[in-house]
Amino acid sequence: MKAGFQTVFFKEMKDVLRDRKTLLLMIVLPIVVVPLLLNLLIGFVIKKEQEAKTEVLEYVVFGDEFAPELAKTFEAANGFKKVTLGSPDELVVAIREDRIDFGLVIPEKTAAQLSGQEQASIELHFDNASMGSKVEDRVQDLVEKFNDGLTTARLAKLGVLPGQKQKSLLEPVRLRKQGTGKIREVIGDRIGGMVPYFFIAFCFMGVVYPAIHLGAGEKERGTLETLLLAPIPRHQVVLGKFLAVFCGGIIAVLLNLASLGTWLAIKAGELRGIIGTLIGSIDLLDLVLLALMLIPVAAIFAALLLSISIFARNSAEASTLISPFGIVLIVPAALAMLPGVELNWFWAWVPVTNISLAMKELLKGTMDYTMLVAILTSSTLIAGGLLFFCAKWFNRESVLFRM
Amino acid sequence: MLQVSSLTKVFRLACSKRARGERDPRERGRRFHAIDGIEFGVRRGLVLGLLGQNGAGKTTLLRILSTSLKPTSGVVLCDGEDLTKNPLEIRKRIGFVSGNTGLYGRLTAREMLRYYGKLHGMAAAALDERIGSLACKLDMDWFLDQRNETLSSGMRQKVSIARALIHDPEILLFDELTTGLDVAASESVLTVVAACKREGRTVLFSTHHMDEVDQLCDSVVIIHEGKLCFEGGVDAMRSQTGESFLDKAFLRLIKPKTEGSTT
Repeated sequence: MKAGFQTVFFKEMKDVLRDRKTLLLMIVLPIVVVPLLLNLLIGFVIKKEQEAKTEVLEYVVFGDEFAPELAKTFEAANGFKKVTLGSPDELVVAIREDRIDFGLVIPEKTAAQLSGQEQASIELHFDNASMGSKVEDRVQDLVEKFNDGLTTARLAKLGVLPGQKQKSLLEPVRLRKQGTGKIREVIGDRIGGMVPYFFIAFCFMGVVYPAIHLGAGEKERGTLETLLLAPIPRHQVVLGKFLAVFCGGIIAVLLNLASLGTWLAIKAGELRGIIGTLIGSIDLLDLVLLALMLIPVAAIFAALLLSISIFARNSAEASTLISPFGIVLIVPAALAMLPGVELNWFWAWVPVTNISLAMKELLKGTMDYTMLVAILTSSTLIAGGLLFFCAKWFNRESVLFRM
Repeated sequence: MLQVSSLTKVFRLACSKRARGERDPRERGRRFHAIDGIEFGVRRGLVLGLLGQNGAGKTTLLRILSTSLKPTSGVVLCDGEDLTKNPLEIRKRIGFVSGNTGLYGRLTAREMLRYYGKLHGMAAAALDERIGSLACKLDMDWFLDQRNETLSSGMRQKVSIARALIHDPEILLFDELTTGLDVAASESVLTVVAACKREGRTVLFSTHHMDEVDQLCDSVVIIHEGKLCFEGGVDAMRSQTGESFLDKAFLRLIKPKTEGSTT
């Protein structure tokens, strides 16, 4: 014969898995929606990057007669198209209205400065508010190319012939950067904080609906009252319900990881750049460890949300009470994204943040496995404490029969 | 034998629930005396009708008797055993059905009966046999494998009664069993209550329908504003008030109390 909590658990799982909303959040979302969103997002980013590099930039030059060689450099370059505009005063409006991409203003004194071997300044007007804009980089590249030619000519005039001598004159000491971090560490550090954030959010979503359904939902349907009459201790009822909610979170996380893993396996060959490098460096073991990391998070979420749900009078009240926790619980996960927040013996004891940081370390490939003791201990203690509280809560008449 | 002595249940009131205008006499400061010193007894195999207006305290009393709520003071003895001392054992002897049928919509009637049977520690073979016999008795064979969410009110109430009877309890507590049921469904459900009496079970039956009281109850307890205001047989209700109709007799019995409480 099964223990009471096992009977409750198997019944709750059957009940939860027969619900369309739960299936949608726990199964359809990770299997269909997540890969679809990733495809769209990464496809969009790659497309935008390509567009920014190859897009023909329309520009105007005022005062090109004062630096004709520079003006010719722009005219000869691929991906630039010269257009005309009335006066420099119209530049700001024309850029804002997207009629041109940038404007160059070459002052009158430039001609004398260039011929007199002095330094000249020209103005670049562009939309610096646009994050994806490549105008600055592409103009800078052309100006540098023009400068290189001019520098070579000026030095030759001074008797310094092109080649090694010019290089030694221009850059007496050259700094050669030898980073000790592997490429995976560098990339993992930059974007590794975001990955746990998403997984923790998915875990939360997987737990929410079962918690509401098995707590406040039971009150609402009037089934809790009859369940309380079963001759089993109430802590066994809570344990059965907790395990069902916890499984909801775990199923959501595992499906997300499996879905992501499959997607990575299919897409790894197609993706290049930073994303491609990171994806290529994640192996199956990393995904398994990521899943293990999320188990205590699912336990914490399950115990906490079940307590809130049991307190609520009905599903609507439970949803209202749980919604703010969606934001509150994500904050510690988001802490891992802050610069300077690294996994150490202090952060290893901070719930959710520790998991987030550990996942980041896993992605970087620099995980100190001794920290796992602290992480799992603190998370288990918190989940256990919350579960104990939930069981106590479940014994209070003022909670079960709130008037 | 079920014996209730000096039973009191006091709830702590939330600020938002305190009366703003006319105060309920049961509200004393931050406390609400839902049940106040109730005493009665019911012998094995009899049907006791529990009457009272809405909010009189009937459901609170039934919840205490079913061990969902603990009394603030007083004693309930079930065959000499204190209800509060060992509620898990007492629960094996009690079955409870409320007007709100409280079924799991996504489970079939059979799955739900199995669930409660398992919670009562019944072995699989005995459980299947019991489900079969209850289904036959309550005429629910034909919808036993349908999901509860697809059942009509009458069918749902039958499942609810079967759930309460699954572990073969000695005492049955019915809280407004026929609320929301049509005439045919009510009749069918009441037949089950009569059958429970024939089987020698003790039944506590809360209702607002006096014809049901007349038809089924051996004795009646009337609660008004948390206090017992009548205990006796159906005939005693009539003779004490001089009314032949039970509805009128009931109103006569609670009327002096109602007038007293508002002055």
